[in-house]
Amino acid sequence: MSVLSAPEALPPHLAEIADRLRQVTVEIYSTRGCAAGILWAPDLIVTNAHVARGPRVLVRLADDRRVDAHLVTADRRADLAVLRMPRCEVAPAALADSDAVRVGALVVALGHPLGLRRTLTAGVVHAVSPPRPDGRRWIQADLRLAPGNSGGPLADTAGHVIGINTMIAGGLALAIPINDVRRFVASTPATVT
Amino acid sequence: MTAVMELSDALAGAVARASGSVLAVHGRRRLPSTGVHWRAGLVVTANHTVEPDREVTLTAPDGRTLSARVAGRDPGLDIAVLRAEVESMPAADVADDGELRVGHLVLALGVGPRASAGIISALDVRGGRQPAGEVLAVDLTLYPGFSGGPLIDVRGRVVGITTSGVSRHLQCAIRAGAVGRLVEQVVRGGRIPRAYLGVGTQAVELPEPLRDRLSLAQRTAVIVLNIRSDGPAGAAGVVIGDLIVAIDGHAITEPEDLVAVLRPDRVGQVVAVSILRGGEPRELRVTVGERPQRA
Repeated sequence: MSVLSAPEALPPHLAEIADRLRQVTVEIYSTRGCAAGILWAPDLIVTNAHVARGPRVLVRLADDRRVDAHLVTADRRADLAVLRMPRCEVAPAALADSDAVRVGALVVALGHPLGLRRTLTAGVVHAVSPPRPDGRRWIQADLRLAPGNSGGPLADTAGHVIGINTMIAGGLALAIPINDVRRFVASTPATVT
Repeated sequence: MTAVMELSDALAGAVARASGSVLAVHGRRRLPSTGVHWRAGLVVTANHTVEPDREVTLTAPDGRTLSARVAGRDPGLDIAVLRAEVESMPAADVADDGELRVGHLVLALGVGPRASAGIISALDVRGGRQPAGEVLAVDLTLYPGFSGGPLIDVRGRVVGITTSGVSRHLQCAIRAGAVGRLVEQVVRGGRIPRAYLGVGTQAVELPEPLRDRLSLAQRTAVIVLNIRSDGPAGAAGVVIGDLIVAIDGHAITEPEDLVAVLRPDRVGQVVAVSILRGGEPRELRVTVGERPQRA
């Protein structure tokens, strides 16, 4: 399915999900351009490690406020990073149980593909790959992503985040399952607030 | 629960239901393709994914490896029918595909299961060349290895077999009805016969004055370049140099049209072949034969 950037074109409920996801998807600016991040807590952002390069990055929130965020931790192998910023009043992202994801289920991605800010893309779950020897696995989605979607949410039809969009391979969107992200964030001592 | 969540659940349920009759087909050197257990002991896949003279094996959803044998091929529709001991797994729930409409939501499945979603974008890819419209165009991605797999509707019923082999530019699916007819021929006759006229042809342009005089809409026809004297066309009086313009009223504009019109179920039937000989129209009655087996 193709990129849908106009929420009017979608059924009302999907448009609501898109609005909700827009509130919790931030823009992260670095020397490599604009990518996405997920508002995890009022003062925490989770994104890909390949997005958060450097100790400080500029973040633009959904209400267009620009804030400085600093890197709390990054794991290049897991391709995950946690950023801290000044507290904001926006409710953080709602998370799903990514172990319950089913092949064929409708999913949406929010991000900034090719700099097209806050764009919604829709598709279905293509496959859930079995864990690889290093324990990593992917949610594969039949969904069109582009550079700028990295670090942004892959969500179910309830608007709950099931993964972090990380890579494009063979036309498929690859997302890190949100349960793996939960474990990563929980294992980061500095995030205990 | 909202309508969108219900739709999402329905799609995931359709995948779960249909994937029970989906197998991996190992019939070529590269990656395996996909097959569907169509009815007791018969598996359908895409013909181009099963190389000739090759041992074919299947992998069932439970991981068992089964050996299979090619029971029939239709290169025109890119369908191969395989025989295998698959009785223990469920056969596909095949839908009456007459209800399909452009815009209907469909999913293509691969082994795993893997899924891809989109819509029916056209009910007849070949622009009317095949009267029944046996090839659907779908607006979805056929990922590597998907060919031969099921195209399912939102209820999980099989409405077609996907293939990247019949069109270079479009993603296609062969309608379940057409696949069912081929399977029926294997059940009845043990094979899929290939229709045969015994002519070699090439497309030629029809001169404007000739088209005007005979009120022909088509710009081209096919010219008979060689002929087997013992073949069906030869026996009916077709000679080298004849232009075939139509068969049973279906315009023949290039050699591929002959393949499209002469479906396997035409074998043994009498067709009306409209020809031009020396600029004059004639009609010959030809009994369609069956292509001799390769030696």
